[in-house]
Amino acid sequence: MKPKVAFFDFSSCEGCQLQIANLEEEILDLISIVDVVSFREVMKEHSDNYEIAFIEGSIMRPMDVTRLRNIRENAKILVALGACATIGGINKIRNQWPADEVKKEVYGDADIKDNRYFDAFQTKAIDEVVKVDYYIHGCPINRDEFKHVVTSLALGKEPIIPNYPVCVECKKNENICMFEKGEFCLGPITGAGCGAICPTHRSACDGCRGIISKPEVECVMDILKRYDLTYEELKSKSKLYNYSREANK
Amino acid sequence: MSKDINIDVEHVTRVEGHGNIVLNVKKGKIEKLQWQISEAPRFFEAMVRGRKFNELRTITSRICGICSIGHSLASLKATEDALDIQITEQTGILRRLAINAENMQSHILHVGYLVAPDLFGIGSVFPLVGSKNQNALLKIVKLHRLSNEMSDLICGRTTHPIRLVVGGFSITPTEIELSKLKKNLEDGLKTTKEVAEVVKNVSGNFPDFERETEYIGLTSDEEYALYDGDVASTDTGRLSNYKDYRSYMNEFVVPFSTAKHAKHKRDSYMVGALARFNLNSKQLHPIAQDVADMFNLRPICYNPFMNNVAQLVEFVHNIEDSIKCIDRLIEYGINQKKPVNVSPKAGHGVGIVEVPRGILVHDYTYNNKGICTKANCIIPTNQNHANIQNDMEKFVPQIINKPDNEIELNLEMLVRAYDPCISCSTHYIDVKFV
Amino acid sequence: MVDDTNVKLISEKDLDEFVNKLIDNKTYNVMGVKAKGERFVFDHLDNAKELRLDYDVTILPPKKYFLPPSEKLMDFNITKSFDIKKSKKSKKRIIIGIHPYDIIAIQQMDKYYLDSQKDDFYKKRRENTIIIGSDIQNVSKHSFAESMKTHTTYSGFDILLTNLGNKYAVTIGSKQGNDLLEKYGHFRDAKKSELKKIDKIRNQIASQYDKKVDIDKEEWSKYLVANYNNTLWEEKSDKCMSCSSCTMVCPTCYCYNILDDVSLNLKEGGRIRTWDGCLLKDFTKVGSGEIFRDDKKERYRHRFYRKGNYLPERYGFVACVGCGRCAIACLPNIADPCEVMNTLSSFDKSAETDKYFIKQQTKVPDKGTIHIPRSATIKNINKLTDRETLIEIKLDDNKSLGHSPGQFVEVSVLGIGEAPISISSPPKKDPTFQLVVRKVGNVTSKLVSLKPGDKIGIRGPFGNGFDIKKLENKNIIFVCAGLGVAPLRSLYLYVTDKKNRKKFKELKILYGCKEPCEAMFLDEFEELKKTSDYECKMTVDKCPKGECWEGEVGLITTLFPKIDYDNSKSKDTISVVCGPPIMYKFAIKSLKDMKIPDKNIYVSLERHMKCGVGKCGHCQINGVYVCKEGPVFRYDKVKKLPEALE
Repeated sequence: MKPKVAFFDFSSCEGCQLQIANLEEEILDLISIVDVVSFREVMKEHSDNYEIAFIEGSIMRPMDVTRLRNIRENAKILVALGACATIGGINKIRNQWPADEVKKEVYGDADIKDNRYFDAFQTKAIDEVVKVDYYIHGCPINRDEFKHVVTSLALGKEPIIPNYPVCVECKKNENICMFEKGEFCLGPITGAGCGAICPTHRSACDGCRGIISKPEVECVMDILKRYDLTYEELKSKSKLYNYSREANK
Repeated sequence: MSKDINIDVEHVTRVEGHGNIVLNVKKGKIEKLQWQISEAPRFFEAMVRGRKFNELRTITSRICGICSIGHSLASLKATEDALDIQITEQTGILRRLAINAENMQSHILHVGYLVAPDLFGIGSVFPLVGSKNQNALLKIVKLHRLSNEMSDLICGRTTHPIRLVVGGFSITPTEIELSKLKKNLEDGLKTTKEVAEVVKNVSGNFPDFERETEYIGLTSDEEYALYDGDVASTDTGRLSNYKDYRSYMNEFVVPFSTAKHAKHKRDSYMVGALARFNLNSKQLHPIAQDVADMFNLRPICYNPFMNNVAQLVEFVHNIEDSIKCIDRLIEYGINQKKPVNVSPKAGHGVGIVEVPRGILVHDYTYNNKGICTKANCIIPTNQNHANIQNDMEKFVPQIINKPDNEIELNLEMLVRAYDPCISCSTHYIDVKFV
Repeated sequence: MVDDTNVKLISEKDLDEFVNKLIDNKTYNVMGVKAKGERFVFDHLDNAKELRLDYDVTILPPKKYFLPPSEKLMDFNITKSFDIKKSKKSKKRIIIGIHPYDIIAIQQMDKYYLDSQKDDFYKKRRENTIIIGSDIQNVSKHSFAESMKTHTTYSGFDILLTNLGNKYAVTIGSKQGNDLLEKYGHFRDAKKSELKKIDKIRNQIASQYDKKVDIDKEEWSKYLVANYNNTLWEEKSDKCMSCSSCTMVCPTCYCYNILDDVSLNLKEGGRIRTWDGCLLKDFTKVGSGEIFRDDKKERYRHRFYRKGNYLPERYGFVACVGCGRCAIACLPNIADPCEVMNTLSSFDKSAETDKYFIKQQTKVPDKGTIHIPRSATIKNINKLTDRETLIEIKLDDNKSLGHSPGQFVEVSVLGIGEAPISISSPPKKDPTFQLVVRKVGNVTSKLVSLKPGDKIGIRGPFGNGFDIKKLENKNIIFVCAGLGVAPLRSLYLYVTDKKNRKKFKELKILYGCKEPCEAMFLDEFEELKKTSDYECKMTVDKCPKGECWEGEVGLITTLFPKIDYDNSKSKDTISVVCGPPIMYKFAIKSLKDMKIPDKNIYVSLERHMKCGVGKCGHCQINGVYVCKEGPVFRYDKVKKLPEALE
């Protein structure tokens, strides 16, 4: 029996679901091993009868919470798809201002009081609202990792998501270290699985897969000094995808 | 004939983002007809506040997964405009390749995966697997892959490009890689013609509907404008200085939508492939012209459903144009130089590019440390929302006697024809920066 | 010294032509040193012009051509019953520009991978590759190769190039190298003066090293052993980010991981080997979730001991060639062996240590490849408890497994992966054997869901089992706790067997587990009593209300006073112990109280035995490979082995 699979999206750019379209010919393989019963972006049909739910996007409004809780109830396995879902990602940048302040700034005095569409609170990752069984990190997700998770779930095994930093993959790709180029890179403390794609294209890691370890402050300061970087650069970088984590420091 | 209709399509499918169609008819009289956007607002302009000039493209790329290359390019153009950075000719050509790649990817995705099911009378492309049309589907997939491989090569990644940086490219493709791409593009051109034939055979299923409106897009003396050009309107011709874009893209809020609407001289205007075609069709490359002729597409076309055909025409044009770009790059020889050096300074810059769904504006102000203090983005889909609403108001009386499910399908097809990108259009926040 | 008979001379122009001929020939994949930004890499050469023999050091060593960062060991199709294809071999290759220290590193790799249990994949790549080395022209400022005496080499290459201004000396290192030069090169014999110049140039290079190690490499081991508890390890590792960049760029690190991957259609799959690093937190993680080197200080220290103590003890050389790559790669700047050894040089090198190194190794059949499993069929599958299942397996080649009690096998479920499982049945002549499988990870979960007739893969038997000869004419006390009963069953079923029983004296089996529902083989113990003479005592930590339990209640140590035993038997008594790590300390204390000498106690240790052949590094305890030297150890040999029973 093919597992029934549904895709849902909340606040996001929908770029992670696009990666499924980007599987190209392999989409045919995908639908040969799972039964896609809901995927609004590409199909009209919808069913609430599914075992695995893939969720893209962050949670921003009470109405999103209700919808997400329903999905959680329907799904046996819930997978967070992409940075917005797994860690809140870019959407969390706005959490540095209180929700009410942002709302007032956004809509001014417009009468939106009872309008549920506009009722935004501080951005939440999926696991801040419901339990998440598996995480597919990244902004956007890595297609190979998506395939690995889908095949693992279909075979009934636990997906293997690296628990080591991007540096491992960056070294395997034989990249010149971004620090050597004088750029602050979050690779040493960000979870791998992306194939170190950003440093490989000569752009420092922004930490979109989430921070996996917190280095000692003294050590960070040493590194900044060694490579002639400022604390501001570190702060700015870590506020891109990992705002709330940074704020907790 | 008078009847009651209650249509409430929550979350229109096969479009990017969340939008609803509401239609209430009582005794043959339309009581409510709305194109609503329910996507959560995302506040991008606030998010870039306090960010360094080289981080903006990373953040604003995330406005939209489908047009992330377009957002990156508009962002880079605005930043380079503000900081007085001149890019090299090579960078210009490579960026044109990037924009072609994205246009191709987005158009084939839309026509092939999202619109085609309506033409075949099915709910998604999945039922095509194993059907007599599987071959057509595989051709579409092949073109989609070609587009993505091109983005991968030029930008480092299709969604959220990596190599596009302020002042140029972090890495440039090699001549060997480009020659290989050229071969694939030439091959893709043949496939596209075959796909066009398939679409042609079912194009009778597009509703026959016209409404006169205004079309806005970039135009240029040099070429079919995508990356560079002046803003022009089918009503008024070329418009004034690009920095005054606000004077002709008037945005306003409507209560049933988290996305803003926009108007120029009329109540609404349309942007996107059809608008570009209506403005610049003479500059299309020859095979693209042929495909337009094949569908009898001629300017000015007032049928919004023909936007799908215009996308197909542009797809062909993008391939032809890319082959020309590659020829030029190889002729000059690729220079693997680093991006031009950037020194931060205070300034205000506007970047305007054509992205798959129409004209896109990024507008940034930087302080003397190169930190962004103010930003504004005008998104193509926002500019189309009012036009969709106006189309619906004219279209519904025309189809009101059809069965409810057909009315619903026709309205969905109308929305889909615009290829709305709703995540983009709800990026909005109109903040005053301190 | 340079021997004149094998040195030729080639002009710069002719060298270019030689290289271009090799490239154009298409028989070979030609790789060489190229610029990558400000750094250098080994990469595919399109033209001799790209070759940069003036480089200082490459980002990655040429190791990547012999042990690639990621390689497929085999292909399979999971929809077919047991369909394995070994991955195909590579094209003939030439690598140009390898520096002496990297050539020496390759010679070290040869020891690890070709000495015993040859790695087929490595072997093929080595045989397929012609090495054109290059004497160093520019010294990397992080390198200390001169201190390691690796800045020059007289072997390990097919050809070695030495820049003599606008010409190159070409030292021939092999017939293969000679043939290549004869066929494609335009050269002449070197003159005496030119030979002298080679030595001069090498001496000049030696003088360019600013970085020097104060401790002779022969002395590294002593200093390390004496300073195992030095505070240096803690101080340095405080800054470690556990990124393992140091091991990733190392030319002599060779640990690896193995994963199964399946394509999206759930048909084709492959077994992939990737580089792994002992600095990574999960490196020593076992199926049950336990991490044996959890503290980053231990991981940090482990790397230096491996380079300077464990591998030298095993192979006779320091596993560092002084290339300095780790010093470049480490952001917090703590990975540099030169700096660490120089810090250690101010400490005592002769402090008394209790450290052990076990040299005993098992012989593993050297046939076929060490990575490819044999096909086997599940005959019977019986659930023992909620977690454990007894699986009977038959080898499809109809040969006996040929194991000794205490050994383990690597069990493959294609597409899911491989797991080490101890053999639970006694040695037999027929091709069947039994495993007790506890459901803890992907492979074991899948295994217990299989049906008779399903195919699996088997590698092994691996490791050191119990030496039965040494048990003869002795009393034996079995101490089995929890899943520890599984490996010990292979031994107690052997010794209680009618045919063998008379060879042994008194037999006592102590068996403990947490609760009655976790107890295994109770009926079998009863059954055994009918045919064999032995004493058996059982206990559970606790017995929940309503559950039926006829044995004792209490920890396993409470059983010792209850058996029929007096200390006068101690010299003639051997105890074999297996159970969860926490149990050993207490069980061993009880045995000591019974005056049983340490050398009469055998323990079986659990670690992550991934490759089974002492290469991948995951099961290493200090300098010991559990998969090779263990899992059965004599207690006196491991009691002072750091990391073993601590």
